[in-house]
This record gives sequence, C-alpha cells and structure tokens, in this order.
Amino acid sequence: MALIVIAEDEFLIAEVLVMMLEDAGHDVAPAAHGLAALDLVREKRPDLVITDFMMPLMTGLELAKAIRSDDALAEIPVILVSGAQGSIGRSHPDMFNAVLDKPYQEKRLLETVTRLLQQQ
Amino acid sequence: MHELPRLTSGIQGLDAILGGGFVEGASYIVQGQPGAGKTILSNHIAFANVALGRKVLYVTLLAETHDRLFQVLGTLDFFDPSRLGDEIAYVSVFQTLRDQGLPAVVSLIRKEISRQGATLLVFDGLLNARDRADSALDVKTFVAEVQSQAAFAGCTVLFLTSTRLADDSPEHTMVDGVIELNNELAGVRSVRRLHVKKSRGSRALDGFHQFDIGSSGVTVYPRLEIALAHPSQPETLVTGTVPSGVDGLDRLLGGGIPAGSVSLVFGPSGCGKTTLGLNFLSASSEAEPGLHFGFYETPARLHGKARAIGLDLQPLLHSGALGFLWNPMTENLLDKLAHRLLDEVRGRGIKRLVIDGLGGFERAAIYQQRLVEFFAALSNELRSLGVTTIATWELRDLFGPTVSTPRSEVSSLLDNLLMLRHVEVSSRYKRTLSILKVRDSDFEPVIHELVIGNNGLAVSLPLEPVEGAATGLAKPLGA
Repeated sequence: MALIVIAEDEFLIAEVLVMMLEDAGHDVAPAAHGLAALDLVREKRPDLVITDFMMPLMTGLELAKAIRSDDALAEIPVILVSGAQGSIGRSHPDMFNAVLDKPYQEKRLLETVTRLLQQQ
Repeated sequence: MHELPRLTSGIQGLDAILGGGFVEGASYIVQGQPGAGKTILSNHIAFANVALGRKVLYVTLLAETHDRLFQVLGTLDFFDPSRLGDEIAYVSVFQTLRDQGLPAVVSLIRKEISRQGATLLVFDGLLNARDRADSALDVKTFVAEVQSQAAFAGCTVLFLTSTRLADDSPEHTMVDGVIELNNELAGVRSVRRLHVKKSRGSRALDGFHQFDIGSSGVTVYPRLEIALAHPSQPETLVTGTVPSGVDGLDRLLGGGIPAGSVSLVFGPSGCGKTTLGLNFLSASSEAEPGLHFGFYETPARLHGKARAIGLDLQPLLHSGALGFLWNPMTENLLDKLAHRLLDEVRGRGIKRLVIDGLGGFERAAIYQQRLVEFFAALSNELRSLGVTTIATWELRDLFGPTVSTPRSEVSSLLDNLLMLRHVEVSSRYKRTLSILKVRDSDFEPVIHELVIGNNGLAVSLPLEPVEGAATGLAKPLGA
C-alpha cells in the first residue's frame, strides 16, 4: 500500500481520484492547490504525487519544481494530469515522471501509478 | 470632462452600450438564468483581453469541471487553449470555500491576483457563495473585500451569478455595474437580450439590446434608436440630384433624386418596385458604390431578374461597384439587420442603396411600437453618411381604395414618396407611377405609365385622363 498526495483544485475530480485510488488499495491525501500539496508532501513524504496544472497559489509545474529542488523529496515520482498544459509538462521531462491528458482515464492512470511505484 | 480608464469588453457592440467599455478596476455583476450566456460572454471578454496582452484570472465555484468548460469553449473561435495556464488561469476555489469558508476564498483570490498579475478577474458562481454564507452580510463582506482588493491591484472584476438579484440587494448596491442577460420567448421564438441595469461612472445605453451567440462568440446589437439617437457624424449636406437610372423619371422629379435623400417606393406586388430599384442600382459606379439590401429575392434571382429586363449588372458586381446583401425573410433580429446594413454601407462607402423592403424590418420587430423611432434613426444615419436611399413598401391590396403606407409617422420621415400601381383602363392593366412628394423640389404631379424597355424600367406617356387611378380602379372621366 502506497501513500499518494493529490493536488487538484476541482473537487469533483479530486473526489473521484480519491475513490479510485483508495479502491486500488492506496492511502490518499488530497490538497486543494499546489501550496497545500507541497505542505502535505513535506509532512507525509508520500510515495507518489499526482498533480493538476492550473491551480490556485501554486501550479503543478511549480509544485514539481519545489519537490525536485528539495533533496529530501526529489526522488518522489510526480504525475501531471492536465487538460491543456500537457505539452508544457512534456517539455519538462525532468520534472514529471509521467504526463497524462485529461479527461482522466482510470485504467491508464492506475497502470502509470503501479509502474512508477514498482520502479521505486 | 474626466474620462475613466477603460478595459474593452472585446465584444462587438458591448463597449458602446457600456459607454466605452468596463471601467478599469471596477466591479460588475453579470446575472442571468442558466443558459442566458453569462459564461460564454465572460470567457469571450477574457480571451479578447488576453489577446491584448492582459492577464486574466478565472475563478470558479462551480460543480462543472474546467475540462468540460474547455470542451464547450473549444467550439468557439475566440478560445485559444495555448493561452491557458500562463495568460489565463482557471482555478476552482470550491474546496477552499467548503473547508475554510468565505474569508479564506477572499485571501486566496487576493494572492492569486497578485501572483498572476491579473487585470481582469472573473468570479463564476456568486450563487454558490451566497448559499455558503451564513447571512447576507457575509456575501456583502465577501463582495466588498474581493472588489476592494481587486481595485487596489487595478483589476476589473466580473461576478457571474445565475440568480436574479433584487435591485436593492447588498451586492447590487456595492458593485459599479450590473449587466443582466436573458433569453426570453417572444411568441414561438426566443430572443436574447442584454440590459445594463447599473453603470456607475459611465453613460450606458439604457434599455434592452439584442445579442446572439455564434461560432465567433457573442455579438451585441445596440438598440438603434438609442445608439444613433443622433447620427454618428454631422450630415454632409449634399446638394443637387443623382440620376434615378430610370429613363424619363429624372425629369418628373425635377432633375433627379435629391442626393442624400430617402425615398419610399410603394405599391402592390408586381408593380415594378424591385425593378425600379435595380434600375437605380445600375447607375452605381466605383465612385458611387451601390448596395441591394433585400429580403425576398436571392442574389442569383435578382441577377436573373435584371438580365431579363436588359440590365447587365455583372460588370458592376464584378468590380465591386455593386453588392447584393440578402437577408432571408426568416427569423431576424431588427437591430442585427440594421447594424449589418450600416456596417456594409460604412465599410464600402455605399452611396446608392436599395432596401427591398421595409417590411423585412417590420417583420423582425418584436416590439412594433419602436419602428417609428427605429426608422428615424436609420434614415437620419443614412442621410448623414450621404447615402441616397430607395426603400420599397408593399401594399397589401392589389387594387382598392386603401393605400397603407408604413404608418403615417414613418412616411413623414421620408423625403420622397413614389407610388406605383396597376391600373385597369379599358380592360387593360397598365403600370403607373405617381410622385407624391419630393424634398425641396417641384415635381410633375401627373400620373405616368411605366414600361419595361431595352434598359429596364422606363417612364412612358402620361396616363390617359381617368378617375380613381390612384386606387387602381379607374373609371372614364365623368362616368
């Protein structure tokens, strides 16, 4: 069982993500924006982070940069899931271990989560 | 007079209604029922400002996901997904509201405006904020705080809400402007209308203004009689006459049609109104471009009609000296028609115009009472642009003593009146022309026959003396 932090400002998406990942047997800690997610990451040291791009206070890219620049957190895999900014994410391969496009596809997301956790 | 700095709406017609656009740093409520067009209007405004280099923050309290919104916006021309994230950010504060309450939302918005460098904030979902508030005071405080913080940052705010807030609601009293959108049924059709209910610091155009939503987004059509309460420019006093294009007619008119005048040509179906218009337009040139603004014949049929009477309009159409603008007589918006006409006239410098006919405008008018003011504004503007206009009006009865012009008030707005009729004389039908009024000119008050010659319509001989020709039911003199 892994601990996953989710950064997603849209509550409908966040709630579905939590349910989906919990059903797959993970512990999930959701945050409503990037800054709150960074606090959670620092506090809980999760096994994986799933982040949206456009969020209040801190974008998904800023969140990933903050994680990578902190030696204690730098190795945590980060998945970006975005509707329109997927290309921005793909242009930063050092920041994101995987980039998925919205709308969410459950199977694809769970496969990516499993793969990244196995690589750990 | 001191003018306030403005933020353009980027919506055709809306800046004029707002008295020059939104006031920078001011806050507005945009309200309307679901489906009224608030979200498309505000996104259109947002992307128009992004295109001008502004940063926009779009904050939602909605259950709908942003992706779903982007899917819908993706069908509209103004939406540019490459701008998302950096130049325009969509953020949801629903969880912050649910978990921490309104004060936390205010704080978050303040930080976001500063972080994004936003000069336009759209807050979609004031209704949800109200539901969440413990009292009206909470929402009042929320609106006050968001708008004061935004104003501090020079950021203009649009609060969108699907409730119809009362005119004396705290929110209304606090914001600088209130724009209401509605989509109402008028008989079997529906009409979208916009109303600026409050506008602090701007002389907004009062009353309802029609708008529509198409693939290019929102277009608003300022109600003509208030948008052009006075013509857009002083009338260029054109003197003299222009050739009517109808052989023999200029002499009857006292030299030709007074330049820059509006003429009404009325008569029953088939009496030659459209043909007279085509003759008039056949005298168009690159120096005096012509336009046929019609409701009945398609451009192809008009072209065929002209050819059938010996008028070759092809070179004029080809060179751009003449254009046909057809408005199918289906569901039209009165002000959209007028703006379409005036945009074409201004854009192409039209000097010869045929409106065939005024009935097309009348049918499009949902509120018939305004037609007099509408035609006054339209005819004044056309005169001020130096356009010589012929408008047609179809009489309902082919024959008979009742001659109904388009309301007496409208007729008095027109400079020249020409009546065409079929007259039965000795078991033969004759087309006739009577001149009833010519602006500032003497004219020949004799009924003449009209014939179709080698060059379209032509004035022939005076009608033989009969009684009752004006009704179409002639009797021999003294009978």
